[in-house]
Amino acid sequence: MDIFLEALSTAMTPMAIASIGLGALIGLIFGSIPGLTFTVALALALPISFSMDAVPAIGLLLGTYIGGMTGGSVSAILLGIPGTPSAAATVLDGHPMTKQGNASIALGTAVITSVFGGIFSLVVMIVSVDLVSRVAISFGPAEIFALVLFGLSTICGLCGGSLIKGLISGALGLMIMTIGIDTIDGVQRMTFGSVNMLQGVNLLVAMIGLFAVPFIIEAFAVKSSTPEKSQRISRVKAELPSLRMLSKNLWLMIKCSVMGTGIGAIPGTGGAIASFLAYDHAKRFSKKPESFGKGNVEGVVAPETANNAVTGGTLIPLLSLGIPGDPATAIVLAGLMIHGITPGPALFMNHAGEVYSMYVSVVLAYLWVLGLQLMGIRLFVHVLKIPRELLAVGVLVLCAIGAYSIRNSVFDIYAMGAIGVMAYGLVSFRVPITPIILGMVLGPTLENEFRTAMMLSAGDPAIFYTSPTALIFFTLALLVIGLQALSELKARKPIKKEVEVSDA
Amino acid sequence: MTPTKTLRRATTGLLAAAAMTVAGAAQADYPERPVEMTILFGGTANSIAQLLTDLMSQEMDQPVVPVSRTGGGGAVGYSYVVNTPADGYNIVWNSNSINTGNHMGRIDFNYESFAPIARVSTEIPALAVNAETGWEDLDDMVSAVQESGDMLRVGISGRGSFTHLTSAALFDALGIGDQVAYIAYGDGRAPVELLAGRIDAAIQWPGQFASYAEAGDLNVLAVTGDTRVNVLPDVATAMEQGYDVNISMWRGLAAPAGTPDDVVAALQAAAEAAVMSDTFQEASDNIGFTPAFLPSDEFGALIAEDDAFYGALLNDLGMAQ
Repeated sequence: MDIFLEALSTAMTPMAIASIGLGALIGLIFGSIPGLTFTVALALALPISFSMDAVPAIGLLLGTYIGGMTGGSVSAILLGIPGTPSAAATVLDGHPMTKQGNASIALGTAVITSVFGGIFSLVVMIVSVDLVSRVAISFGPAEIFALVLFGLSTICGLCGGSLIKGLISGALGLMIMTIGIDTIDGVQRMTFGSVNMLQGVNLLVAMIGLFAVPFIIEAFAVKSSTPEKSQRISRVKAELPSLRMLSKNLWLMIKCSVMGTGIGAIPGTGGAIASFLAYDHAKRFSKKPESFGKGNVEGVVAPETANNAVTGGTLIPLLSLGIPGDPATAIVLAGLMIHGITPGPALFMNHAGEVYSMYVSVVLAYLWVLGLQLMGIRLFVHVLKIPRELLAVGVLVLCAIGAYSIRNSVFDIYAMGAIGVMAYGLVSFRVPITPIILGMVLGPTLENEFRTAMMLSAGDPAIFYTSPTALIFFTLALLVIGLQALSELKARKPIKKEVEVSDA
Repeated sequence: MTPTKTLRRATTGLLAAAAMTVAGAAQADYPERPVEMTILFGGTANSIAQLLTDLMSQEMDQPVVPVSRTGGGGAVGYSYVVNTPADGYNIVWNSNSINTGNHMGRIDFNYESFAPIARVSTEIPALAVNAETGWEDLDDMVSAVQESGDMLRVGISGRGSFTHLTSAALFDALGIGDQVAYIAYGDGRAPVELLAGRIDAAIQWPGQFASYAEAGDLNVLAVTGDTRVNVLPDVATAMEQGYDVNISMWRGLAAPAGTPDDVVAALQAAAEAAVMSDTFQEASDNIGFTPAFLPSDEFGALIAEDDAFYGALLNDLGMAQ
């Protein structure tokens, strides 16, 4: 208890609180502006943190991480362009809500459920870090492969009309990620002798291209009729979600928090898979699954709760095993190391004080985010008053800067453009875009874990069906695919009959 | 060669020519504008580089700006810097990757395209096993493996990665090279896999093992460099244990070949002051590297020596291009 009180006092100094707030603001700005990503924000904050004391420095980084994770939903909801890969699922229902004039409710719901998910996962982490990390260790390549395959099966739920089109889209995502150096065998794939292709397609660059470029092209291609425009403006209001609506979704929030924390705790997975699984779960168990994708608020609650629950989840392997779950936490890890806080089993013995002040910092970061974003909603919704064409020009500039800044590479701007034009083509053939992102996020993990597992077993596939954990996830994946195929067949039958009748 | 590439080469050439005339006139005043340092990797490499640029900026009249150009195992960053004018305003935070990148066919130029400035740091890999094996040193492991006749499962980051090359050299020196099955993870997850018992041994950075060694979960058998490391002072080197292996990862600075000597000297002096500073020495323990300054000429000799070593090693592994 003494250590905790001491930690409380170090984490509550004005300097520490201010640096957490600064981090949250930076993260929020970078996360919410399309094109700019919070991984870049973290990379910028890292050198600043070097010269600070340990606790404020970690507060700055954690604030940026959490602010960015939460901010990603803002542009996802308002413009349909996710700020982070883990907000891609939020686009599905968040953006339709904006089109219906409920932008502020969607934004408010997103931030409140995010904070709920984040704090929930932190509590789980504090109580069970030892236990959860031991379970996480038991996830070897075969088990992670099974989990990722289960995550990939949610493509079924994202296909909209046609399963085939969804699968085409998912396979495209998987294929794009094979470009570059294969990390397992160290060989070059699909590089055509170009040094630029060696670096492969960056996930964030592709995400910007996939969502922002179609938005830009559409803004100029589709002539917006005047009455629609005035309608848009008159509908913009800053209204917060009602407590009644939130309490109605409490059970969903708890389920998604558990899901997010659990997935975050397994190294090598991350926010995107959690938010898609949560979305799929919400849709499957909803009373009105047909209203998903058309502005159902549950479609915002589920992914936003889950992707922020991941923040507490990823802290488990980060602190107890020293393993970062994604590029963003890798930067947080660098910040910890430089201040002499080496994660791993000995961390809780040697640096208990710092660990407790990290917990306090996370809570403070969420409070900052809640305050900043609820205030910001009034500001954010005004973005919708900007004429679409002008907005598109701004987005174009920001996206080009954003794509460049991730790796300081001009090639990435071209890559963004090329992928974006492809995405626009796909959209006009009614091929859904979201499965591409899912394929891109999960593809490398899927492939690497499969190959590593086969190396471990010296080529014996038994490693996949002798592990109970893997079997559970395989069964779940089969179930999801089977149910989808069944419902597709049911939907098709009446049409077939008609054809037969007419033939006769 | 594509039209754009030709165009870019031509522009670079023009710029280089223009810059040379300017540089020729005012070399004594170097630096007159900020120096850009290209960083090739994230993680430790990035952390050291951020610190180094900060300290070097204090030594020079102009700031040294870190710019991250990652990807392709360093190929992207090297290719960028090698095409910049040789005037000292573009330098690269390099490593053994200049040798391996060339021999593995990722870049079509080699270390001779760069002028060495100074070596800054080394990182010495360590070999660890699960504590339940009961192995305390290399001899324990070698005799156990030879007695059982089983394959030893060794975790590496990926084929051709530094952990793979170090493992290959070490196990060859131990005489059990043909009893090793490499398990590639594609990332640095090896310590956890070791803990879970899915692999038998792994080579990673000492910092990744230190916490587990202290908790008694893992035994660190040896470090592969010629000196012990600060984070694990009780762990003997492979040489001390009678095996002839000396591999460490060096990092340093280089500029495009043809950079004037006085410019290299100015950068070398700034780097030396930065490495000797208290801040740098203090940070080294935290981040897990050893400050190891070497002047330009000695650094150049080291790179050339390493180039032959890695060329031969990659050839043995069938990975040389």
